[in-house]
Amino acid sequence: MPELPRSPDPKRFEVSRATLWFDRFMGWAIRFGGISVIVAVFGIFYFIGKEVVPLFRSAHIEVAGKVAPGNKPAIIGVDEWGRMPFFYDGSSKVVFANTEGTEQREIEVPGLADVRVASYSYDTVHRRIALGLEDGRVGSFLVEYERKFDSDGKSTIEPSITPEPWFSLEKGVGPITAVSYGDSGAGRVIIAKRGTGVSSTVHVLRLAMKRGLVGKGKLSPLDEADITADLGAEATLVRASQNGALVLVACANGEVDYFLADSKGVSKRQSFKPFDGVAPRQMDFLFGGVSVVLTGSDGQQEQWSLFRPQEDGERLFGETQKFPDLGAGDVIFAASQRNRTFLTGAGRDLSIRHSTSGVVRWQGTLDIDPVIAVLDAKGENFIVAAADGQARRYAIHDPHPEANWTAFFGKVWYEGGAKPIYQWQSTGGSDDFEPKLSLIPLIFGSLKGTAYALLFSIPVALLAAVFSAAFLPLSVKRVVKPVMEIMSSLPSVVLGFLAGLWLAPILETRVPSVAVMALALPLTALLTGYCWCRLPIAFRNRFENGSEWMVVVPFVAFAGWIGWHVGPIIEGWFFVYKDVATGREIADFRLWWPQAVGIPFEQRNSLVLGFMMGFAVIPVIFTISEDALSNVPKSLTAAASALGANRWQVVWTVMLPVASSGIFSALMIGFGRAVGETMIMVMATGNTPVTDWNIFNGMRTLSANIAVELPEAPVGSTHYRTLFLGAVVLFGMTFVMNTIAEVLRQRLRERNKIV
Amino acid sequence: MASPAPEKSAFATTGRSRRGEPLVWLTAAGLAFGVAMALGLFLLILFKGTASFWPRRIDLMEVSQGAVIEKIAGYVTQETQRKDAEGVLHEEIQVFRGNKDLNGEAFKYLDRDSIKSTSRPESLLLVERLEYGPAIVTAEALQTPGGRIEATAAEFDSALEVILEDGRVARDKLLVIERKQIGAVSRELEALVRAERAGTVSAEIAAARRVELQVTFEKLQAAAAVIRAKLAGSSFTGVSADGREVVFPAANLLGVFAANRASFFERVGETFRRVGKFIREDPREANTEGGVFPAIFGTVIMTLVMSLFVTPFGVIAAIYLREYARQGMMVRVVRICVNNLAGVPSIVFGVFGLAFFVYFVGGGLDQWLFSDRLPTPTYGTPGILWASLTLALLTLPVVIVATEEALSAVPRGVREAALACGASKWQTIQRVVLPASLPGILTGVILAMARGAGEVAPLMLVGVVKLAPTLPIDSIAPFIHPERKFMHLGFHIYDLGFQSPDAEAAKPIVYATALLLIIVVVTLNLTAILIRNRLKKRFAVSSF
Repeated sequence: MPELPRSPDPKRFEVSRATLWFDRFMGWAIRFGGISVIVAVFGIFYFIGKEVVPLFRSAHIEVAGKVAPGNKPAIIGVDEWGRMPFFYDGSSKVVFANTEGTEQREIEVPGLADVRVASYSYDTVHRRIALGLEDGRVGSFLVEYERKFDSDGKSTIEPSITPEPWFSLEKGVGPITAVSYGDSGAGRVIIAKRGTGVSSTVHVLRLAMKRGLVGKGKLSPLDEADITADLGAEATLVRASQNGALVLVACANGEVDYFLADSKGVSKRQSFKPFDGVAPRQMDFLFGGVSVVLTGSDGQQEQWSLFRPQEDGERLFGETQKFPDLGAGDVIFAASQRNRTFLTGAGRDLSIRHSTSGVVRWQGTLDIDPVIAVLDAKGENFIVAAADGQARRYAIHDPHPEANWTAFFGKVWYEGGAKPIYQWQSTGGSDDFEPKLSLIPLIFGSLKGTAYALLFSIPVALLAAVFSAAFLPLSVKRVVKPVMEIMSSLPSVVLGFLAGLWLAPILETRVPSVAVMALALPLTALLTGYCWCRLPIAFRNRFENGSEWMVVVPFVAFAGWIGWHVGPIIEGWFFVYKDVATGREIADFRLWWPQAVGIPFEQRNSLVLGFMMGFAVIPVIFTISEDALSNVPKSLTAAASALGANRWQVVWTVMLPVASSGIFSALMIGFGRAVGETMIMVMATGNTPVTDWNIFNGMRTLSANIAVELPEAPVGSTHYRTLFLGAVVLFGMTFVMNTIAEVLRQRLRERNKIV
Repeated sequence: MASPAPEKSAFATTGRSRRGEPLVWLTAAGLAFGVAMALGLFLLILFKGTASFWPRRIDLMEVSQGAVIEKIAGYVTQETQRKDAEGVLHEEIQVFRGNKDLNGEAFKYLDRDSIKSTSRPESLLLVERLEYGPAIVTAEALQTPGGRIEATAAEFDSALEVILEDGRVARDKLLVIERKQIGAVSRELEALVRAERAGTVSAEIAAARRVELQVTFEKLQAAAAVIRAKLAGSSFTGVSADGREVVFPAANLLGVFAANRASFFERVGETFRRVGKFIREDPREANTEGGVFPAIFGTVIMTLVMSLFVTPFGVIAAIYLREYARQGMMVRVVRICVNNLAGVPSIVFGVFGLAFFVYFVGGGLDQWLFSDRLPTPTYGTPGILWASLTLALLTLPVVIVATEEALSAVPRGVREAALACGASKWQTIQRVVLPASLPGILTGVILAMARGAGEVAPLMLVGVVKLAPTLPIDSIAPFIHPERKFMHLGFHIYDLGFQSPDAEAAKPIVYATALLLIIVVVTLNLTAILIRNRLKKRFAVSSF
């Protein structure tokens, strides 16, 4: 078609420049605003994710200083800031050298000038060097650091040495060839090996701190025990745990013997063979003194921990973790004083490993030949010394050593546990507490709460939706739907408070009644329907069609009332608790349930929660599925009726199948609402992380856990980031569910258009 | 009604048509149950909330405790059943007897069988005071500056009124002195320290000013002491049911109500007075007594600030999606995501708000503007601004969806008419589309406010506290303090019900607060629904 020549617009029809300009400006402004709002909404993903990502980074190591103490150190230690390590080689002097390389000094150890040191060991917790002498004496000295600030606020570190008393072993002969020192504050234990070869003996000396009225207490020997007879063969390694509670002796035949030092004395409790007849090359306690890491002759490394194999039995050692093999060469080992990581290696290859998860946090090769290493108290530095008098300080950047996929989602064998488990316990009372960060109990809790909520809500909501969409007169529907909608906007804190403080105490004693009512109510409704349609038509016609929901109320209410009062009678028949001690019988479901089923009964339980969650979930499912059912094209239902289907058949054969995807999406959205519900979960569940489906106890859900713990978690800590990870999981679960629901709903809308 | 109209005879009678009829009735029961749940909950809260204000009659019970007969005055707050170790059922009642200072516990559980007799002597009084919660006593005497007045004296009632009034006046005066004037002095002292550290004020001037402030402070304290001394002479003496004497100093005495003597109308009046106090007053006694004014204030301010943020952004985003963006796959995906965000758990928004608003934005602001106060954070800590912004984000999808629906409901013809008249795109939107969709947008905003007002979980992370000493808006410059923490009705419920040292005593306040919150939320929702229904009607007429 040829284009018509355009006549020029008359001047008065021309749009003013200002209007055009403003129009363009608003266009861009709205585009900008709109896009930035959408970007902001997606910023949620980014900012939550940003907090989580550092959890999955491995450790990072860099050289932070060099020192040349000059001696061939046998023991090194360091202050808690990692600035002034000391080097001790068994002589009478300790060399201190700061890692900037600017200061070096030697401090004489009193009383060591004219004796020969035959053995030594170092306890990083108390910073104590234990010594064994040629003449059969054992003793120790402490290395202490003091941080001093000058007027500019710069700090200097002042080392000092505190000698401790010497003790002579009364039994055995020969020099002390191995020594180890344990200190629990009040009591102390020294384990020492005398002599070499088959004739060597092993002794345990117990010391007690007698408190004087003034000043420091006096340390005096309590008793001395010769434990050689209890050993399988010649002792090769002796170790006392840092808290002095237990003593381990590794023997030449590969046996490790475990002795307990308690108030009654020293007694052998167990002997185990970690490496089948070959003596371990290395054996050291980890932080907390409950686990020991052993390295075998071929470099196999294992962790053995104390736990109770039988529930009421004694604590014994068992293998709980295997680490990747070490290479050839002298084994280097340094345990962290902060968490369950340790530095280990052989030759130049070192690695930092986390004992609970068995994960290697870092590994690398050094440019010196290390003979010994130590980790500082904060876990921020490690110092490695070489045979040639060189030493290096390495800075460790590993803020989240205990975080990894297995810790969050797998079974973990925690120290002291009898087997690997899923557990959430983020904070504890003691210093050596190990956070247990499995999200599985929380995810399970969320799913359990959701399941019980849906178990109650879905039937009620769907039945109500079917009746409302198929039978309810329009005028009534206009009132009923808003009522349900307002119910969905009820603040969940009110629901939670009612659940916890009002409903829970009521239902606690009425479980049988609830069970009877759960059966009686639907049966009564069915029975009413069965009888009603057999009543004379003249009577029934007095009630308008669609008013069944009002007619049924008195019958159902009556059944409910009966059920409520029948409950205690049922309880008296079936749920009789028998007191084992007195043989008395009490009809009480709360007592009967734990006795009969073996799982606990709590006041704030899933039953209460399921009912109260109904208030939050029923309106959501009701509204969406009612919409889906109402939008079934009239032509379909009319056709079914015309073909002779009765009203229930229309619903069952036409409406429900057509609206099924809409109903499914309603369930999905109901699931999303229930899974993320926070306040009801916090207030009505008891918040114990459990992993069983028992309806009569509570749970701890992801959402409640975040609400309760996040305000207290230190910013940037592993705990804080793990809670963010919980939020990501929650977000992911609901987002997937909602997206499926949304896609289904859009499909349904299009399909209904075609029909 | 005897002869059935033909269109009413849908209730089938026989054969096949009867099939499935029980199931229809089952669905009917489902609906009835759902509606009953909703209504039941509203009624329960309404009843319990109102009951917490209603002045109850006080019973005087003679209870046998073994061989001794104990007299207890109070009212029944709960009736329960308890099974003892033998499995025997006991009817128990929980009695509120007040007098926490005498008994240690304000509540007592009694076995119904142990109550020998119950009476309602008119002399029993419910005394409200600043400490220890209410007391239940009979009047004994009044100590006034003019001498002792026995309860039997004729002028007793009028003298009591005078004492109560004096106490009220003195408390108001003390509040002004202690909160406002002494507060101003201490604020200036703090500012002085900061200025001195920053070097804007020399040490000599600061010292001189400090001396002046100290003098003012002492003067104010002396004034307060005078007011206190004037009250010290007056007190009210009562006798508890078990015969112990209680002295209430006038400074502590808030009110005396003769619960058993009051007529119905007096009790209604007392109810309204209590409602008024509940709404106007600050909480006392770890929130278990007094009012919830700061919580109401915090909730309202937070919701208003939230809607200030959410309305423009939500509307702009919706206009963009509906009017400007090209309708394709991309917009569909975005729309699904926005719909989805409405279903994301509120706690996740709280977590985001903590990471982004509080630590990222707030921490950044502190570094930039308030570095002299660090390490004490100013904006880098939870506060009302961050709470409002978090909730704005939470309710954004509600506004976007509602606005989009309203925009799409504007008939195409109307738009085309505007364009045909020569209006530009923006002019069409501004003059035609927006006014037509305004009620829809308003519905969305109101629904967002209702959702925001009732939401608690995210607030626990971004700014709500159990007791805020100051309000986010007050008469101290700069008047608006968006960085302050605030109290919230919903959190008040959680805190009182689950974190309170005396949960039983807090129950009435919890129910009352729940009622208040529900009234707010339901009113907002009803408004939205009414507007929406109007809107439907209007479009039903105007569409062509």
